[in-house]
Amino acid sequence: MISGQTLASLLVAAIVRAGLYTLSATGLSLIFGVMNVPNFAHGELYMIGAYIAVFTFSGLNLPPLVAILFAAVGGFIIGAAIEKSIFYPLRKRSERRKLWIMNTFLVTVGLSLLLKNLIQVIAGTKYRGIDHYWQGGLDLAGLSISVDRVVGVGIAIIVVIAFWLFLQKTTVGKAIRATAQDEVGAKVVGINLDNIHTLTFALSAMLASIAGASLLSLNPAYPTMGLMPLFSSWFVVILVGLGNIAAVPVGALIISLIETFAAYGFGSGWQRLFSLALIILILLFKPRGLFGSDVKGIWER
Amino acid sequence: MQYLEKIKESNYTNPGLAVLIALAFVPLFISDQYVLQLLISAMMFGTLAMAFDFTVGFINVVNFGFAAFWGIGGYTSALLAVNLGVSPWLGIFVGMAFSAFLGFLVGFLTLRLHGIFAAVMAWFTGLGLMSIVTNWTGLTRGPLGLMSPMFFATMDRGPYFYVILVMAAFSLLALLAIANSKIGLFFRAIGQDEDAAKASGVNPTWYRVLNFTVSTGIAGLIGGFYAHFMGILTPSVMQTSQTIEIMALAYVGGRGSIWGSLIAALIFIPVLTYLQPLMELRLIIYGLVLIGVMIFYPGGISALYRRVFQVSKSEG
Repeated sequence: MISGQTLASLLVAAIVRAGLYTLSATGLSLIFGVMNVPNFAHGELYMIGAYIAVFTFSGLNLPPLVAILFAAVGGFIIGAAIEKSIFYPLRKRSERRKLWIMNTFLVTVGLSLLLKNLIQVIAGTKYRGIDHYWQGGLDLAGLSISVDRVVGVGIAIIVVIAFWLFLQKTTVGKAIRATAQDEVGAKVVGINLDNIHTLTFALSAMLASIAGASLLSLNPAYPTMGLMPLFSSWFVVILVGLGNIAAVPVGALIISLIETFAAYGFGSGWQRLFSLALIILILLFKPRGLFGSDVKGIWER
Repeated sequence: MQYLEKIKESNYTNPGLAVLIALAFVPLFISDQYVLQLLISAMMFGTLAMAFDFTVGFINVVNFGFAAFWGIGGYTSALLAVNLGVSPWLGIFVGMAFSAFLGFLVGFLTLRLHGIFAAVMAWFTGLGLMSIVTNWTGLTRGPLGLMSPMFFATMDRGPYFYVILVMAAFSLLALLAIANSKIGLFFRAIGQDEDAAKASGVNPTWYRVLNFTVSTGIAGLIGGFYAHFMGILTPSVMQTSQTIEIMALAYVGGRGSIWGSLIAALIFIPVLTYLQPLMELRLIIYGLVLIGVMIFYPGGISALYRRVFQVSKSEG
């Protein structure tokens, strides 16, 4: 039997994990919802954030929040550059819209290889970590949690809520949602689709980048660090339904609870198998995920 | 049936077999072990990419967990040899059968899914298989690696060269035979428009599962070759990055051609291995080639060949 103390610490660990999964999975879901791009390079955007943070924090000795801000802005700019240089020409050239999803998937696979190895050329394969952003731990009902984790989750929650408000309340946010629902309709009411696509990709890159930056003390920066967040983001997004942004936090919580408890019960090697088994079962019976999605893009039938 | 008639492609000659026949003479003139090693590697990946193309280029499903089946075939054969003393020559066929059986099951799993959902399902099943192989250390020794007996006692690469050459030729002929038969036509019909195919009387369930079984069976066979050629297996052969490498070859070769994948492997593997000291650079080239082909020339090598030699693709 699990003691109360252990249970509490497992729950806290799961919630911390869920916050960060939400942050990285939201961007993945957003790109799919708006652009219909299943992004395999999402983990590399996370990695870029971690590298920017490590260079501004340890390299330039700037305060932690500034480092994370730099990562956010850097991620945004790099995301916009990637969209303009790769997806924009691809969109202009692709004649058969039916093949768009799988073609862009392949392109993001290439992009992932490219970014991973460019970083390796620039920064080498060395692990570049930091001990901590903020020293010390918090005492929470008898549990000691490092301040870094608490701030990390705090950042995740604030960013996700801010992003949600942005999508709901602002004109630009509404334009993004309109594009996700109906591209032709959005065009008719005068929305510039090219700008919306660039903005969406940039925002998504920014969210992943913030996640990578705020987790730096737990996961040091190295070229292939993006694989784990890529897996977890995909697990979450497929579980709740591709493109369904609102349900991402729920999926993140489910996945992180399963993984945390499976790791505790069977060892951390097996945790992935449990979440995979669950997702495979759900895909079998509900191919569009737990909550489906109302994305009406260029769906493949 | 009109729909099916429209898809039917006139047979065009392809350079795949000619290249393999030419390759058969290579060991007679070149005894450089390094060159032979490169060509073995190229044929191995070429055959894997052909089997991959058999699924993506025909029924239009990306089997993103493909490398797992390659690994499963290798592990099956190696474990049989290590634990039960089964000869590798028999083991590779058991590995092929087991891999095909798993592919058959995954074929069912992905049945109702299309596009990215089918790809993700295959990917997750592949990750699951890899996770089992990695963590079941009592059986597979996990990341420590499983030593596997070699096919031949000699260190000479020549015999291995002919084994993989025969496997590649067999796979090429078998896959092309199916692709050019009525079954291949049904595959294409399902891949292009499943509803229209159904309306024409094609049963997608049976053909999709059949396609997966054949493709993963070949992956398993090559896995067996790999196990008894390298002498050691680690779960890393089942990684997604291996699938990506195979997929890149299939796409660069040109989807739906089968032979294009083989040619792509014979060009790219030696060139990129030659750049091995520049490891990152090699993968950057892979990335750029993949992006470039997708944006500028989605038809790949086989489309280029057809254009250059003016072989008509369809007459209707």
